[in-house]
Parts: sequence; structure tokens; C-alpha cells
Amino acid sequence: MAELLLDPNIRGWVFLPIVVITFLVGIIRHYVSILLSSQKKVELHQVQDSQVMIRSRLLRENGQYIPKTAFLSRRHFFNNEETGYFKTQRRAPVSQNPVTDPAMMTDMLKGNVTNVLPMVLIGGWINWMFSGFVTTKVPFPLTLRFKPMLQRGIELVTLDAAWVSSASWYFLNVFGLRSIYTLVLGENNAADTSRHLQDQVSGAAMSMPPNPKAAFKSEWEALEICEHNWALNGVDDDLLGLRNTSDSIENMYYQSKSGL
Amino acid sequence: MCEIDDNLNWTEGRDILRNWRESLERRSKDVVEIWETVLMYHIDKLGNEKYLVLEQVCFAALDCYRLPLAEYCVKALMKEFPGSSRVHEYHAMYLEALEMYNEALEVLDSIIKRDETNAAPRKRRVAILKACGHIPEAIKELTEYLKKFMSDQEGWHELCNLYLQEQEYSKAAICIEELILHNPHNHLLHQRYAEIKYSQGGYENMYIAKAYFCQAIKLNPNNIRALYGLLLATNNLALSLKCPVSQKKGTIKLNEWVAGQIEKQYKNKIADKGNDSKYIEGLLAQLQLEG
Repeated sequence: MAELLLDPNIRGWVFLPIVVITFLVGIIRHYVSILLSSQKKVELHQVQDSQVMIRSRLLRENGQYIPKTAFLSRRHFFNNEETGYFKTQRRAPVSQNPVTDPAMMTDMLKGNVTNVLPMVLIGGWINWMFSGFVTTKVPFPLTLRFKPMLQRGIELVTLDAAWVSSASWYFLNVFGLRSIYTLVLGENNAADTSRHLQDQVSGAAMSMPPNPKAAFKSEWEALEICEHNWALNGVDDDLLGLRNTSDSIENMYYQSKSGL
Repeated sequence: MCEIDDNLNWTEGRDILRNWRESLERRSKDVVEIWETVLMYHIDKLGNEKYLVLEQVCFAALDCYRLPLAEYCVKALMKEFPGSSRVHEYHAMYLEALEMYNEALEVLDSIIKRDETNAAPRKRRVAILKACGHIPEAIKELTEYLKKFMSDQEGWHELCNLYLQEQEYSKAAICIEELILHNPHNHLLHQRYAEIKYSQGGYENMYIAKAYFCQAIKLNPNNIRALYGLLLATNNLALSLKCPVSQKKGTIKLNEWVAGQIEKQYKNKIADKGNDSKYIEGLLAQLQLEG
């Protein structure tokens, strides 16, 4: 098959403009999303709940370092049937329904405005403006399977799969410019399309779980079965044991005595 | 202390301040000095970092009671970020430094009203009450705060100190327990807890104090304060009438051991100076258990 020779005008008027356009759109999107971003309002009782959870977890983990009475009084504070924190706090489950929560609605709208809308608009425009060009060629041979990926918009059966069409070049740019954005805009920039997805995954874990009631119940259970073994039992004998190993039998005697 | 060059470059000064900011070092005096020697004249070259530096200098100036400098920083920040609660907090702190406590409280209240989850202004309120000497009110305010922000270690520590001022040892002990839950391997907390229990007195408390002094020594064998504490606690225990005979022997043994340890500590320190440790031995003998 004869080698194709591309018009240098394609380089100047298709290949490079696509790169520049996608890059600039990414930058603009970054700043627009900064403009539109609103700080998430956290309710006071949400903060309180998460701190309570931390405290109760620490009590379970490090409770053996405080005396038994102190441990029991803390557990009483959390778990008592009538007055315990986990029993008395009634939290309505946070509504996750976007229709009922207007703040959620605007958040979603903003996400769409900055992420989906430009993709659709610019993608459509590029497709319309630069459709049907063969723009470049990857420097290695590829199998026919890559044809739909690299040659979107050009339905030529005989064209070698290594050639890249303009529409595909646009998509390659959209997904390939991420590292350049981090270079230009710094880490965690908003131009990165994949960030939005990650936010949705990790966001739930960071703040309180959507249903504090269930979280409280599991924490209550864990605390209820937590036993207290004072870690400082026999610490004085440890010190003496360090001093002299010859009277270790005597030490053991003391240890069993003081363990009573 | 790092020596501050007389002919410090402004970029160097900026880098030093940035380092301190990132490692949370306070060094207020040095910060003010760097500001006055170099950075003051190059403030416009700093770009966006200017405001971070101003913030740092403002804090340092308040520390050093350089009120005109603090005022300058607050004003500059206020001009740029009129709505920021962070700047308002600095403003409140400046008012505090002027001892205009009521005005400062007003500013803080307005910040809290705007964002209820902001912990810092609530803590400042406690600080103001403490500065006025209203310790019981400060305690009340701080307990209210800790009901909301339960895992704030700084808050628990401060509450412990306030209770100690009021000599409410059992309540102070609860605060330290909370801190031990957060940091179970900090020997100073164990030592502190033991000291509070020792001050409370009584056989039970003395027994707990002994255990925690031991734990502190176990975590850091060079903690001389804990060693002395253990010496006194074991003295007290061994002389107590409630002490069962079976434990008496162990307590006395521990007492002898810890006395030996203290002596060893002093010998180690004195060894390189050539003095003898007769003095301390004599003093120690007075603390020692008789019989």
C-alpha cells in the first residue's frame, strides 16, 4: 500500500488547532469551576458525630491504658441505655435524594456545567468543524481492531489502522492532557475529568456516613463487647525484672500476687 | 536558634519563613526580625505569598507585643479579604492584645454565627475568659466546646490545666485520661496523670499513681520527674496502713530500686564534671524509706 502524504495545511489548520483548543478549554474549565465552586456546608452536629466516633474508636483501641473505672465511666457515657450518647442522639438520615435537596441540585448542575457541557459542545463542534481529516499517524503498526478507536469519522476499509482521524485525535487529547494540566495548574486541578468521578467515590467516606444511626449502632455494639484489661498491671514488676533477672521466680510470684 | 544573617537576601528570608510555616514552628521573635530586616522592603515582590507572610508576621507580632506591626498586618489583610473569618480572627486577637476584650468577644461571636463549625474562635473565647481571670467561666465555656468537638486534644489539655488551677484534681484526671487515649505512648502524659492521682491522695489513688509513674519510667527510663514521683509514691504506699502485707515487700523493693535509679542518673550526669554525688546521696537518704 502506497504511503499517504498529508497536506502540510492539515498540520497547521487541523492537527495543532485541536491540541490548542482542547488545552485551552481545559484551562478555562479549571477557572470556571473555581468560580462556581461553593464550600460544602457542614452541619455542627455532623462534626460532633464524627468526633464522637473518633473518640469511641480510641476508647476501644487504647482503653486498656486508663484505669478500669475510667474506662467504664466512658463506656457508660456512650452506651448507657437511657442516657448514653449512642442511644439518645436521634439523627435523621441525611437525605441523599437530589430532588428534595436544593443545594444538592445546584451542585449537580455546576458539575454538569463544568464537566459534561463543554465536553458535548466542544466535542460536537470539533466533529463538525474538523470532520473527515486524517491528521497523523502513530509510528507503529496496529491491528484492525484499533480502527474504530483511532479512525472515528472516517469509514475507509483500506486505510491502515495506524492513521489517526481528527475526531479521534481530539479524544486522545482530552484524555492525554491530564499530566500537562498537573504541570501547568498544579495538583488536584479541576480540568481533570477523572477527578469528578473520584470525588464521588471518596467523598462519602470522608464525611460522616450518610446514616449516622447505623454507624452509631455498630459502634455501640463494638464498644459493648470491648473488654478492659488494664495494660499497667504488673508494670512495676516489669521495671524490677529489668533490673535483675536472677530473681525472676520471685518476680513471677509477685506478678501473680499483684494480678489479683 | 538559627543565626540570622545581617545581609540576608529577601528570597532567603522568604524561604526561611516558608519553612517555618510548613513545619509549624512559631519562633515569633525571629519572624519579626526577618520581617523588619529584609522582607518589609520587598513585600510587593512576594506575589500571592505576601498574604501568608503577613499572616505569619501578624501572629508573631502579637506574640512579641509589637502592636503597631500587628495593626499594620491586620489592616493589610483586612483590605484584601474583608469577608474572611480567618482575618477577622486575627482582628479579634489584636483587640485581645489591646485588652479590649468585649470588642474581641463581639468579633468572635460574629464569626461563630457565620460558621458554627469553626473551632478556632470558640477556643479564643476561652482564652479571653482565661486572660480575664474568670477561670470557672472559662471552664464552663471549654466544656461546652468539648461537648461539640470531643476529639480536640488541645482543648482537653487546656481544660486539664484550668481544672488544676482550680484544684479539681479528679476532673483534671479525666482530661488527662482522654489525652492518654489519644497518645498512649507519651510518657509525659502518664507522668502527669500519676502526679494528679498522687495529689488526690488516698490509698487507691496512690496505687494508680505508682502504676502510672512506672509506666512513664518504662516508656522513658530517663524521666527524672517520674523517678522522683515513684520514689514518693512508693514511700507513701509502704507507710500506708491500708497496704496489705503481701504487697508491702514488693513496694519496698520498688522503692529501693528507684532510689538506685535516681542515684545512677545523677552519677551519669556528674561523671563528666568530676564532682562527687555526696550531696544528692545525703538528700536522697532523707527521702528514703526509714527502716
